[in-house]
Amino acid sequence: MSRDLVSGVFWLAVAVFALVQGAALKLGTLRAPGPGFFPFWGGVVLAALSLVLLGDALRHRAGEAVLSWARAPGFRKVFIVLVLILGYLLALEWLGFGAVTFLFVLLLFRLERKGWMASVLSGVLGSAAAYLIFQVWLKTQLPAGPWGF
Amino acid sequence: MEILQGVLYGFQVALQPVNLLYCFVGVFIGTLVGVLPGLGPAAAIALLLPSTFAVTPVAAIIMLAGIYYGAMYGGSTTSILVNIPGEAASVVTCLDGHAMARQGRAGAALGISAFGSFIAGTLSVIILTFLAPLLAKVTLSFGPPEYFALMILGLTLLTYFARESMVKALMMAAVGLLCGTVGQDTISGRFRFAFGIRTLEDGLGLVPVIMGLFGISEVLLNLEQRAEATEVFAAPTRGLMPTREDWRRSTVPILRGSVLGFFLGVLPGAGAIIASFVSYAVEKRASKHPERFGTGMIEGVAGPEAANNAAAGGGFIPLLTLGIPANAVMAILLGALLIHGLQPGPLLVKQAPDVFWGFITSMYIGNIMLLVLNLPLIPFWAKLLRVPYAIMFPFILLFCLIGAYSVTNNVGDGVVMWVFGIIGYLMKKFDYEGAPLILAMVIGPMMEESLRQSLILSGGTFAVFLVRPISAVFIVAALVLIAFPLLRRRGRPAVVTA
Repeated sequence: MSRDLVSGVFWLAVAVFALVQGAALKLGTLRAPGPGFFPFWGGVVLAALSLVLLGDALRHRAGEAVLSWARAPGFRKVFIVLVLILGYLLALEWLGFGAVTFLFVLLLFRLERKGWMASVLSGVLGSAAAYLIFQVWLKTQLPAGPWGF
Repeated sequence: MEILQGVLYGFQVALQPVNLLYCFVGVFIGTLVGVLPGLGPAAAIALLLPSTFAVTPVAAIIMLAGIYYGAMYGGSTTSILVNIPGEAASVVTCLDGHAMARQGRAGAALGISAFGSFIAGTLSVIILTFLAPLLAKVTLSFGPPEYFALMILGLTLLTYFARESMVKALMMAAVGLLCGTVGQDTISGRFRFAFGIRTLEDGLGLVPVIMGLFGISEVLLNLEQRAEATEVFAAPTRGLMPTREDWRRSTVPILRGSVLGFFLGVLPGAGAIIASFVSYAVEKRASKHPERFGTGMIEGVAGPEAANNAAAGGGFIPLLTLGIPANAVMAILLGALLIHGLQPGPLLVKQAPDVFWGFITSMYIGNIMLLVLNLPLIPFWAKLLRVPYAIMFPFILLFCLIGAYSVTNNVGDGVVMWVFGIIGYLMKKFDYEGAPLILAMVIGPMMEESLRQSLILSGGTFAVFLVRPISAVFIVAALVLIAFPLLRRRGRPAVVTA
């Protein structure tokens, strides 16, 4: 399947979703357009463009191997980093800024095959520096954990 | 002379010590962002936006704008020394700039980039100084139909400059418009696409979306692709001053690049990247030795580097005179002004002359700072380039995470960033561009409002856009722009769109 085929189907689905939602929101009339007016027509335009893209993709089937990138060795790393980012966000208000940042930096350094010593040290220095920059200098309100930072 | 008075007043504001400091911080960070590959000015400005909440609006905009044009200076350093563009507008500088470095002429290349950037930056601020107040008077008479028509033209132009297919760029603009509708409808008060989630009820935040699309996704791609060790040329400490011969060859390209860059910068979506490419093509065509381009021609460095700096200045025109952003960076600056309670657009010069003039004149000062700052610091930047990515990316991610969280102290915004990081990563894989999405998302709510107001105004007929002369011109121009490539495609099947 070509890349345009896959992405075209995806955006077509998004478009249909938008126009169904828009229609449910009340379109209003041309004289007094309602809240659903813009999302609905936005969805219609996106659907039309997706169909153009799909039409082109079907007409010129170059046999482009698309999903091979998912098997690339780098993909595993990307996946882990994404999990770590989400983990950071979910744990942030629970464990506090200091601990989560320490773990985050530590794990990312380990992912890059740095030694334990270097990773722990970077975690400590990194979280301390971030604390100084954001909490002390820029006065950002960062969530504290059960131990106060 | 109204303008002269304005300029004098502006310097009074910009020369205040605190504003000078913010100007300096801005251009310094901007250069840093420009030098470091993998973090563009859009993501960097989004990142630092929350840190400006506590300062005055003038200082905030002076600093954030400084990051933008500072990045244009910094980008060339990496292109020349490492053959990797420090940021997207310096891609063409790699061609001849790095070739010059290979011949031992890195100093001349770096020097002419800095001087060319300075000349172009200053020229573009001069044009901006005189053009912006005049245009603001014209656009003052625009009503909702004119605004809507202009935004349609803007979005069309944006997709016209798309590097990939125009259909895909239009699709991203449509997606952006839909993203812009998330949250509470300003006219009816109804929630749209919110599904009872608090973060979505407030609308998608610009900062998390930009950091996801341009920050997180960039890191993910680098993690995947990076492998080969890069060779960093030793930074020259001498020979930064271009010779008389260098100047003779570079003067015209710099001037041409300045004018070209400024006017391309005004157009939505064109911006610094396109300006540098066009300038390179123009210089190659104008040269007596086009075949030698790519082998270290100083014209190929001077022109594009001037053009991308001038484009950075030109980009402020639509923001200051219409309140419409021309690119992703301007979109964040628009957001920054709004957060500080200012409405960018034709009324800005009247309502907040200190911001309008203080900010414009700060760019004169910023450009001087960059020239003075840049040449002596080049060895320092070169050292920075040797820091391995494995050490850098955890901190880029960390900054994005804290930045997204601290705008509203809401973890939900971080999740929005995460989601758009994945979307941005996949978009690169599937050859979609992020810029049309961002721009459409920002102007979407303005477009919707002006469309609905126009329809109410006209009693429900679309003819209103064609009866009013100015909006009719915009609409027709947009239609021509859309029709042109479609017709061309019919003539030559199986091209471009693949």
